[in-house]
This record gives sequence, C-alpha cells and structure tokens, in this order.
Amino acid sequence: MSGYRLDKGGRIDRAVPLSFRFDGQDFRGFAGDTLASALVAGGQMLFGRSFKYRRPRGLLATGVEEPNALVTVDRGPGRVTPNLRAPSVALHDGLIAQSQNRYPSLKTDFGAINDRLGALFPAGFYNKTFMWPRSAWEKLYEPAIRKMAGLGESPKERDPDHYGATYAHCELLVIGAGPAGIAAAMDAAATGGRVILIDEQEEPGGGALADPAQWAWLAESLAKLAALGVTVFSRTTAIGHYHQNFVVAVERLTDHLAPSQAAGPREKLWRIRAGEVVLAQGAIERPLVFDGNDVPGVMLASAGRALALRFGVAVGRAVVVMASHDSGWRDALAMAEAGVTIAAIVDVRPAVSSDLQAAADALGIAVYLNHSVTGVKGRLEVKAITLCHNDDYLAHTLPCDALLMAGGWTPTVHLWSHARGTLKWDAAFGAYLPDTTVENLRAVGGCSGNWNYGDGIVVATLPSPKPVSKQKAFVDFQNDVKARDIALAVQEGFRSIEHIKRYTTNGMATDQGKTSNLNGLQIASETLSKPVTAIGLTTFRPPYTPQTFGALMGHHKDALFQPLRKTVIDDWAAANGAVFENVAQWRRARYFPQGRESMDAAVARECLATRERVGMFDASTLGKIEVVGPDAAEFLNRLYTNPWKALEPGRCRYGLLLNEQGFIIDDGVAGRMAADRFHVTTTTGGAARVLGMMEDYLQTEWPDLNVWLTSTTEQWAVIAVQGPKAREVIAPLVEGIDLSPEAFPHMAVREGAICDVPTRLFRVSFTGELGFEVNVPAEHGRMVWEAIHAAGQEHGIVAYGTETMHVLRAEKGFIIIGQDTDGTVTPDDAGMNWAIGKKKPDFVGKRSLARADLVREGRKQLVGLLTRDPAVVLEEGAQIVVDPAEPVPMTMIGHVTSSYHSAALGRSIALAVVAGGRARMGQTLHVPMPGGAIAAEVVSTVFYDAEGSRLDV
Amino acid sequence: MSETVAADLVLLDQPFTAPGVRIAIAPAMMRYALRARDPAVLSAVIGRVLPSRIGDVVDGIACLGPDEWLALLPAGTVLENETGQLVSVVDVSCRAVGITVEGPGAVALVATGCPLDVERMAVGRATRTVFETVEIVLWRKAVDAFHIDVWRSFAPWLGAALVAGSPS
Repeated sequence: MSGYRLDKGGRIDRAVPLSFRFDGQDFRGFAGDTLASALVAGGQMLFGRSFKYRRPRGLLATGVEEPNALVTVDRGPGRVTPNLRAPSVALHDGLIAQSQNRYPSLKTDFGAINDRLGALFPAGFYNKTFMWPRSAWEKLYEPAIRKMAGLGESPKERDPDHYGATYAHCELLVIGAGPAGIAAAMDAAATGGRVILIDEQEEPGGGALADPAQWAWLAESLAKLAALGVTVFSRTTAIGHYHQNFVVAVERLTDHLAPSQAAGPREKLWRIRAGEVVLAQGAIERPLVFDGNDVPGVMLASAGRALALRFGVAVGRAVVVMASHDSGWRDALAMAEAGVTIAAIVDVRPAVSSDLQAAADALGIAVYLNHSVTGVKGRLEVKAITLCHNDDYLAHTLPCDALLMAGGWTPTVHLWSHARGTLKWDAAFGAYLPDTTVENLRAVGGCSGNWNYGDGIVVATLPSPKPVSKQKAFVDFQNDVKARDIALAVQEGFRSIEHIKRYTTNGMATDQGKTSNLNGLQIASETLSKPVTAIGLTTFRPPYTPQTFGALMGHHKDALFQPLRKTVIDDWAAANGAVFENVAQWRRARYFPQGRESMDAAVARECLATRERVGMFDASTLGKIEVVGPDAAEFLNRLYTNPWKALEPGRCRYGLLLNEQGFIIDDGVAGRMAADRFHVTTTTGGAARVLGMMEDYLQTEWPDLNVWLTSTTEQWAVIAVQGPKAREVIAPLVEGIDLSPEAFPHMAVREGAICDVPTRLFRVSFTGELGFEVNVPAEHGRMVWEAIHAAGQEHGIVAYGTETMHVLRAEKGFIIIGQDTDGTVTPDDAGMNWAIGKKKPDFVGKRSLARADLVREGRKQLVGLLTRDPAVVLEEGAQIVVDPAEPVPMTMIGHVTSSYHSAALGRSIALAVVAGGRARMGQTLHVPMPGGAIAAEVVSTVFYDAEGSRLDV
Repeated sequence: MSETVAADLVLLDQPFTAPGVRIAIAPAMMRYALRARDPAVLSAVIGRVLPSRIGDVVDGIACLGPDEWLALLPAGTVLENETGQLVSVVDVSCRAVGITVEGPGAVALVATGCPLDVERMAVGRATRTVFETVEIVLWRKAVDAFHIDVWRSFAPWLGAALVAGSPS
C-alpha cells in the first residue's frame, strides 16, 4: 500500500472520477489516468506474477517497455484481451481488468514454489531436461510447461469487433510526438507538403507530458500544428518500417472508451508511404541490475516521475532513487517538488555535479555517493533496502517503500533497424545509436542520441559483496532472465549475443528486450572481458509492440476474407438446389440433387441422362485467352506441344502445355477464329498462371513475335451442351450456323447467334458424346442458359455439375491437370504422345523430354484399373502394390489418381499412375487398405466407347 | 459483415450511400482491350485518337502501358477492327463491371484499399492498380468521382469491401 494520489498536480481531470475493477476489487481513478497510474494511486503495487519463477511483480515502467504489468481486460463477450500492458491501458469508467499467470490469487500463488527452486532452473533448463524421450515433448512436457509458464489466456470466443484499414501518403511522416517530433513536424509543415505526426500514447507530447514546465509550450505547439494542417494521430503505434519508407501503424480507436460508448471499428491499420520519415521515438530508461531489483515497488525513475508529474501519483511515502545517471537526480528533484517524499538518492558514482548535489541538499534529501543497493527487503512490496559502500561493502539498511532505478537511457532504434539502418556504439550513452541508412530516413531527439539526459556511467551489475551467481538480479523481467543466467551462458561457451540471447531467452519476450537487451549485452561483455561491439547486436523485427490479429486482418474476415468468384449462372444453380464446391477461387456447382437424392444417386442420374439424352454444364470458369496478331499461330506453336500452324480458321485443337522440365502443367482446347486470332482455353485453376507464363515467354524469350494476349475468361459465359440430343436442343436457338455434321464437324468453331446474341459456338466434347460449348458474352449467360434448359425439356435435359463432368471424362480416359498429373507427369507418362507435334523444331519442354530420366523404362504411366469386385470404388490417392503379402513397408509402385462409380458401365472405374504401367496390361495389382488389399486389373484408360463412335453423329 | 460468408456477397443492386460517399454500379459499357507496337497503326485501325502518355485518357480510351490501351465507351459504341494488322482489338465489354465511387469522401474510400497516392492522382487519369488483393482499373473522372473497372466475378467482393470501408 505504498502508492497514493498526490493532492494536486498531473494532467488528470480530478473533476471526472472513474471507477473500475481489478481482480474483483473496486478502485477509483480519474479521467486521464492509465490503468497502471490509477492502480498505483490506489496503493496496488503488485501487478502480476513472473513468467518462469512466478515471482511477484509490480510496475517497472509507464511506457510500452513495461515488461511485468500484463493484464487481461474484459470488455464483454468476445472482447477479452490478454497481455495488455497496464500503463498502455487508458482508464475508462467501468473498466474490468484481471491479473494473469497466478493461481489461486495474485497474492498467494502456488506456482511461486518455482522461485524457491530457482537454482534448479538455470538457463537452458528446458532444453537440457526435457529432451528425452522425444515423444513426450509434445504430449507431456510442452503442455505442462505452457500451462505453468505462459501469459494470459488466449480468447476462445469470436471477436465481434471489426477493424478498419487504409493507405495514406505524405511527404513527411514523423513517428513520435515528443518535443523533437513536434519540432520536426513544425519545420516541415512550414515548408508545405503533407505532414503526418503519429504517437502511440493517449495524447501527443511524449516526455513533455511528465514535465509541467513544457505544458504551455505543448498546447501552443499542437494548436500551431493543427493550424498548419499537420495530421496528428494519438493512440497510433508505428509497428514496422518496410522498404522505401512504407510504415505500418495501428491506431486504437475505441479501447479507451467504455464499451457502451464505443462505435465503429476497434482499430485501424494505417499503411503509410512517406517521402521522408523522421523517427522521434525517444529513449527508454535502463533498469539497474542488482539483487532484488524486481520486487514490486522497484521501478524506473522515469516511471516515478511520470506517475507524479503526469498522473499526480506518488509511488511511495519514502522513495529512494538508485542512480548511475544524472537523470535519476533530476527525476528525484522534480518528484520532490511535486510533493513526493524522497528519502535518499544513492549513486554508484563517487561524485556528481555540484548543481545536483546542491539541489538535493537544498531539499534536505540524503545523498549516498559511491554506494549501491545490494538488497531489497519485502516480497510483495518494498519494505527496506540494503546499501553498501562500493569500496568497503559497509552495509546499512534504509527503510523505504519504493525504489527507483536510473541506469541511463537506451535510444529506441527499433524502426531504424527495421529500415536496415546501421548502428554505431556510443560509449557515453552505453547504447547503439543510428548511423547510416539507405532510406530517406532520419532520427531526431532521444532516439538519435541527440538529447541531453545528463551524464552517467554504464554499469553491468551494481557492485555487491554477493557474487552474481547468488543474486536474484534480473535483466529480462518478462522472460525471468537473471544476470547469472547470462554469466552461465558465457561460461558454457556461448560467445555471440545472438546465441546468448537464444540460450537464455534474454530479450525474446513480447517486449523484445526493450529494457533488457543492453544490460544483457553489458553483462556478457564484462564476463567475457570483451568490448560490447565484439559481442554483437541482436536485430529488432516488426511489430514494435504486440498487436491484435484483428488490426492486421482489417476487413479481410468473414465474407470479405477473400473473394469467391461466381459465374453468371451461379444464381440459377443455387436456385435449383446445386451443391457447390470451390475450385481455385471459383465456386462451382458440383451436382444437382433432386429431392433427398444422395450425391452418388444424383451423379449417376446426371451421367446416364447425358449419355442417353443430353446434359448441360456451366463451364464458364474455364480460363480463356484471346491470342491475336500475325504471329499468333507461331506463338502457340512454340508454346504448346501440338502443331498449330496448319490449323485452319474455324477449326479447334486440343493443346497440351509443358513446363521447361517437360512435365504437363495445363491443357485446353483452342479455336482458330481467324488467321491471326485464337480463342485459347485453359484449366479453371490455371488461367492466371498460363497467361502469366505466356506473357513471360513473349516478353523475355520471343519479343520479336507480333502477338498480344488478352484474358477473356470473364468475357464469355460458357454452356456445355453434351449428349446425343445436344444438336436437337440448340438447333432451334441458333442462327447463322449450319449445325449439320458435314458443315460443322467435331473440333470446329463457328460464329453466329444464339437467342439473338452473338456466340462463339464450339463443337467439342469432354464427355465423349456429341457436344457443343456455347460461348456468349457474360451478360447474356444466364438468359441463354435458361433458354437452352427450356428448349431441352422435351429432350429430357439435365443440368450436371463438376462431379458428373469428372466421371464422364474419366470414362473416356481424359485427364484432369492436377488430379491425374502432379507436375511430374510427361506426355508419354500420360499416354499422350499423340499430342506432340513430331515435326516441330521446338516447343516449351521439348528438350527436357529427351532427358535420360524422362525416357527411362519403368516410369510411372497412366493406366486404367478395374477392381475385381465391380462394386468397390477405390480411394483416390491409395497406393498400389504388386504383392499384398509383402511385409510392410511394401514396395509401392503407384497410386490411384481418379476413381468413380460409372453408371454407364454399371461398375467402378479408376485411373492410376503405375510404374511401367502400360507393360502391365492385364496384370492384377493390389491396393492395400485398412480392410484388406483390393485386387484390380490393369486396363486401358478408355473405359467407354473406345472407338469414339459417339462423337461422329 | 459478421455472420456472412463469401458466397452471400452479391453485386450491389442499388446505390449505397454513407456520409460523404455514394457507391453504385455503372451502366453497361463497351470495353476493348487494345494492343499495338505502333500507336499510329492502332489509331488508324480503330479510327480514334489515342492518348500517348501512360495514365492519360482521351475520349474514353486510357493508356495503361507502353503498348496497351483500354477503351471504356458508351454502350453500343463499336470499334473498327481489321485482321492482318499489327494490332490486337478484343471486345471485353462483359469482362468487367464498373463501380462508381462519388462524393467528398471518395478519395478516402478508394484509399482504404488502393496503395496508390489517390489524393494526388490528377483528375482525368486512369491506371491499372489493385484494391487490396483485387486488380482494378481506377479512373479519376472528377475531383470527387472515380470509376473503378473490376473483373465481373470480383465485383461483388469489391462492392462489399467498399461498403465495409465507408464511413458509418
């Protein structure tokens, strides 16, 4: 109960009292408080339990560097956020917060036994202890350790909030609205251009907020910036700097308001492209490393100052400052002036400037020079400290209830590092400072090192009669790393800070070592007797502070997660009971069940109707590319395996596309619309990839060709009408095209009209039946579909989906790219050498087809499989063996690629890739399954109408 | 947007308005993808003047690249074509859907998902760009009016994304 509210002072609004709850207990605060300042004002010094040893922990800092005071804030169902730093939680009326990582309560935590057993948990403990047996790691050790250690509980409910996102551009982006940032923004604004100034705190001002002498200047400056048109954002954290001054920032819009007052998005992601970026992020004060430096009530001097001067809160009734730096003295003097009782200033240095000494004397503050704190009494709060003279270790005890550490300043170079800016060591600062950068980026103020914090010295650990190995002297408060852990790591042979960091986990917590990196580095340097610059430097990575997933996702959730593409016939399919499946980005009708029909029954019905009468299918998702120019045929000739130059206008050809390695990657039919114009189709999933590949070859390999590519996938709706009655169905609707077999043979294309709209009518078949693919401009697709459906009624037409399409093509042995091929299948493997233009000098992949491995015996080849039991449908992906009695692991010679029940054949059929498959015709192979091996005979891939007579009608 | 899934999205059936913005589906128009090495040849084939600077628009024809133009013309406008020429003229009228975004909040709304400096885009300029993950052609028709051309199947998503990004 050491903290209390001062009678006056601070930027809080004492006219607006707020009530809130922490761990079920009622507290009071004021508008302008943070959760941390209000709790300290209420005497709460205990904020949480540490990560590993479960030690009681209090507030260390009042900024985003806070490592200890992580809390869970409950804003109602689905709005429970763990791991928020209490100093960064703005207070509002009715706020509900809980401490974390304790059981059963914050004051009495059973896990604290770890602290007593601390000697058993040295650095690398988990790695050393839980190595064996390996299998126990996932099931036993890791869950147990996670439960014991860990942070707050992950939310399990759906987040009802939404999150905004936007891009912004400016000539100058200033990050950090302290005095240096404000000055930079002011300078730039005066010269014109868009200036954005962002700051992570509740209000702009940075360090000036804890200095009442600057408040008048601050108010005046902010008014001036507004008048100059500078955009100023508070509660906005720049989380990362990316190439070419692309800065990502997150603005918190509603969390500072009571849930009932919150409206609109919770957070907003700002993606800012700036001509110039000025970093004015300031510096973070360094803790000192000594035995007991983590007892609640031991905090940074800067935090004590901010609490007193910004929030009107005294951290204790008898406050001691332990300094190695002048700034601790200045903070102590400012606090004393604000009404805080400073019991003593201890400084590790033998002498300080006479000004500071005189000022302390004037206020009657006891001063201990050349002294260090060597121990802290109290467990849940500070009760007293032990002081030692640095030379003779003469100790004495000083009663107090708060201890402030002033160990100097670490410039915040996180974003500078994101930008690949180099750093240089500054011995006076005891820190790395920004050096050079390739970006139009500069650092000003504290983060550049160009700021007068006063003088100080750097000490790795405070002098003590106790060896470091006996001290509970913490370096990384969040990951519970002690000075002795770093010493141990060095002793065990780690030399680079990158290794020391990973072995000890120093700096690897959610705070990324904001308060621990430099102390860790100093200790390693001292232990190794090497300069800091020889130990190395760890890298900072975005985000600067932990962020919500919601902010990173923005609108990309629920319906907007990613676009789902639907054809113009999709609505009709939905209205007619289609069951859908997603194919690439598209949603496609899979089958059209009638009543309570199962998929198998629906597909069998659709298949039989198409084979016996006529079926219609929405093929609009097929990729389509218009290839135009005098060299169009030459271009396709070089690209596809097939010969194209002799193809006459009005005719079509199946095209097979390989990659340079000689493997099949796409296929489709192309129609020659004119001497210099082809209508090329691709697979649904391959449309963008094939167009990209074509453009790539055109621009890099064959820039001499006069040919241009245009994606027409979405220009055309495509309706496949397949089956013996197909011609009769469309005949009454078509104008200007002679549909007779003589005038319009298989693999031909004609232009004319259907239902009074222009059409490119293809006579093609992916079913083995007489078939047409009606291409009409997309806006007419639905109308033409319905007209064909109506005209087909008298012929018993059915609409079929992708499942039926798959069965019908499998009956004919037509491959599906990506199902029967997997990127390792050559035309020969697929039995498709017929598609290769033998006389062609070259095509993409041709040379690779002659490679030794691609012509060797025993490659996997596409074959048909007929199970001995015609009722058994093999599982796609199932492995194939010769001898099912062979001991496990059996020799696997291939796998099933496609497998269906064929209604037309009244039995199951399958396609498979099998080593030396074509030489195995007639052999019986086996497919081992959990219920026993299934015997199947190797047959041709064409199961139905092998002579192709059904096309010739 | 909660509780809805992607399959529920449909093309805006009527204009959406929010403070400062109005989002609507543009009337049907003729679209041609035009390509040529030599603009003069293309110009002669289609009988129209072509913009020469990338990003400029002349009489509905936007120059999108060094050899690429997109014509966005009133419905019924037919461009001449001639086989055998060193040009490519392809009718893509139905490939895309136009979405208009108008009002004093239009710039900010387009900027929610478009990484270009929309504010500094001159009136009358057009360019191919993206809105989040979706390719668009963005044409600034007035200080506070944009025409966005987007492939048909992406239009429901884009419309919904613009509505979601609108001020409430």
